[in-house]
Amino acid sequence: MRTRSVTALLAAVLTALLLVPATPAAAHNSLQEATPARDARLTAAPTQVTLRFLQRLNPSYTTITVSDADQRKVPTSAPAVDGATGTVTIDGPLGNGTYTVGYRVVSRDGHPVQGSYRFTVADPAAPAPSAPASPSAPASAAAAVSTGADAAGEPDASGARSGDDSPPVALLAGGTVAGLLVVAGVVLFVARRRRARRTT
Amino acid sequence: MTDRPATARRVSRRGLLTGGAMAAGGALAGAGALAAARPGDPGVRPAEPVPVAQVGSAVEPFHGARQSGVTTEPQAHAAFVAFTLRPGTDRAAIGRMLRLLSDDAARLTQGRPALADTEPELSVLPARLTVTFGFGPGLYAAAGLDDRRPASVAELPPFGIDRLQPRWSGGDLLLQICADDPLTVAHAQRVLVKDSRPFAVVRWVQQGFRRAAGAEPGHTQRNLFGQLDGTANPKPGTPADTAVWVTDGPDWLRDSTTLVVRRISMNLETWDLLGRTDRELAVGRRLDTGAPLTGRAEHDEPDFAALGPDGLTVIPDFSHLTRAHVTDDRQKILRRPYNYDGVPTPEGDADSGLVFASYQADIAGQFLPIQRRLAERDLLNEWTTPIGSAVFAVPPGCPEGGWIGRQLLG
Repeated sequence: MRTRSVTALLAAVLTALLLVPATPAAAHNSLQEATPARDARLTAAPTQVTLRFLQRLNPSYTTITVSDADQRKVPTSAPAVDGATGTVTIDGPLGNGTYTVGYRVVSRDGHPVQGSYRFTVADPAAPAPSAPASPSAPASAAAAVSTGADAAGEPDASGARSGDDSPPVALLAGGTVAGLLVVAGVVLFVARRRRARRTT
Repeated sequence: MTDRPATARRVSRRGLLTGGAMAAGGALAGAGALAAARPGDPGVRPAEPVPVAQVGSAVEPFHGARQSGVTTEPQAHAAFVAFTLRPGTDRAAIGRMLRLLSDDAARLTQGRPALADTEPELSVLPARLTVTFGFGPGLYAAAGLDDRRPASVAELPPFGIDRLQPRWSGGDLLLQICADDPLTVAHAQRVLVKDSRPFAVVRWVQQGFRRAAGAEPGHTQRNLFGQLDGTANPKPGTPADTAVWVTDGPDWLRDSTTLVVRRISMNLETWDLLGRTDRELAVGRRLDTGAPLTGRAEHDEPDFAALGPDGLTVIPDFSHLTRAHVTDDRQKILRRPYNYDGVPTPEGDADSGLVFASYQADIAGQFLPIQRRLAERDLLNEWTTPIGSAVFAVPPGCPEGGWIGRQLLG
C-alpha cells in the first residue's frame, strides 16, 4: 500500500518535472492523445482516427493517414481540424488486422513533426482480414517498398526522429536535468531577490 | 581614414603575386588583369592567369533576335536597376533614351568604352557582360501604347505571404546588368544610370551574386539556405524554350519574354533552428545533392506518391518541391536568381535573401499558378518573405545599328 503511493507520488513529481519545463521551452508540436490509442487492440473497427496535439494545427499543413499491414493506404476523408485536434473519417469498414496511423503536422514555429503508431482490429465477429480498398494502392505500395527500405537504411531519415516510440531515455534524463536546473534557478533567483531587498 | 588599409591591402596583394602564391580568387583576378596589361612583367607567371584572363575578356552577344541575359548562362554578379520615368517623358523621349542606353550596352558588352565614357579603362574587360532591358507597365502608359502591353505584364495580385515594400517594388524600366566581374557591373551601371538621367530616376537597385565564374561550372546555383535553386529550369535548346520565348505575334512581341523580379527575404535566424531532416522535409530535396527525397540524383524525377513505412508520402505535400513542381514543359519558368547579403544588424541578424528573377513567355499562364500554389501551402514560407515585386516585358533584341524597343516605339 505505502510503497505504491510513494511510487505514485514519485511518478507525479517526475511527470511534473518533465512537463513544466518542456511545455514552454520546446516550441515544437507533439502528439498528446490518440483515438484509437497506440497499440490498442480493438474488438470493433474504428470509423475515425482522432489525434490531439500540443499546439493548434494549421489545416494546410496537417496530414493524417491510415495504412494497412501491407503499407497500403486506407481511404479516409481529409483531416478535419478543430484547434489542436485533427480527425479523419475512414471511408469503408476496417477488416481485422494491424493498421498504422501516420501523422505529419507543423509546429507553431514551422518545424515539421511527424510520427506513426499502430493499432490492431480483432473483431471476433469479422474473422477474415479485408482486402485493401484503395484503387490506386498497388502502384504506390510498390514504390513504398523501395523508398521504405531506403529510409530505414539511413539514420537521418524521417523514421529515426518520428514520435512512434516512447521518448528515449536520454531525452527523459535531459528533461529531468532541465527541470532540476529550472528549480535551482528559481531558488537562486528568489534568494538573490531576497538578499537584494534586504540591502535596499 | 580608409586610405591606409586599402593601400596596405594592395601592396600585400602585389607581394602575393610576385611571390607566386596565387591561391585566392581575388589575387588571381588581379594577376589576370596585370598579365593582360603588362605581359612582360617579370613578376607575373604566365601559366596560371590565362583562364582568369579569359573570364575577363569573354564576350556575350548584344545584337540578335532575342536579348541576352535570359538564357545566357548566369554570370556571377548582377545589378537589377529599376527606373521611374520622369513626368513628361513621352514616346519620343523614351525612344531617345533607349537609343542611348542601347548604344551604351552594345559597346560595353563588347568590351568597348561607351561614348564619353569617363573611365574607359573599366570597359575593356566585359567578363560576359549583358544588359537586358525590361519595360514595366508604366512605360507603355507613358508612351501611349497600353494596347501593346502584354496582358500579364501588370502588377501581380496580392498574396497572403507578401510584405511588399515600395522601395523594392515596381518600375517603368528595368536594366538587368550581369557580368562575371563586379567591377564591370558597377561601371556599366554607372554609365547607364548617368545616361538615363534626363529621362528617368533610379527607383531601386538590387545587387546579387552567385558563385564566382568557374568556381562550380555547370552546377545549379545555391541560395543562402544552402539549397540548390533552379534545378527544374527548362534546359536551353529543348522544346521547353517555348516556355521562355514568345514565338509568334507582331514584331514587338515575337522573341520577347517577361520577367518577374521578387525580393525574397530569407530568415537565416529561424532557419538556423531547423535540423537537417526538417529542412529537407520543407524543401522536398536533399540539401547536399539536391535529389528529391525519393531519388538519388539532382535531376531524378520526384515520386510524389511514394510512401514511407509510416504510410506518409516520402515527399511531404507541403514541401517547396511539391508545390512548385510543374510537369508540362511549356508551363515551366526559367529561374535566374541571385543571392543578396546585406549588412547584419549590430546583434548579427542577417539581412539575406534572394533576388528571385524568373523568365517566362506568359506570367499569367506560368508564373502565377506556381506562385499561387506556393503562397497557399509551401512550408518554406515559414522562413521566407517576399518584400519586393516587379514585372516587366522583355522586348525582342535588336540588330546591329538598331536599338531595344524600336519595334514597339519606333
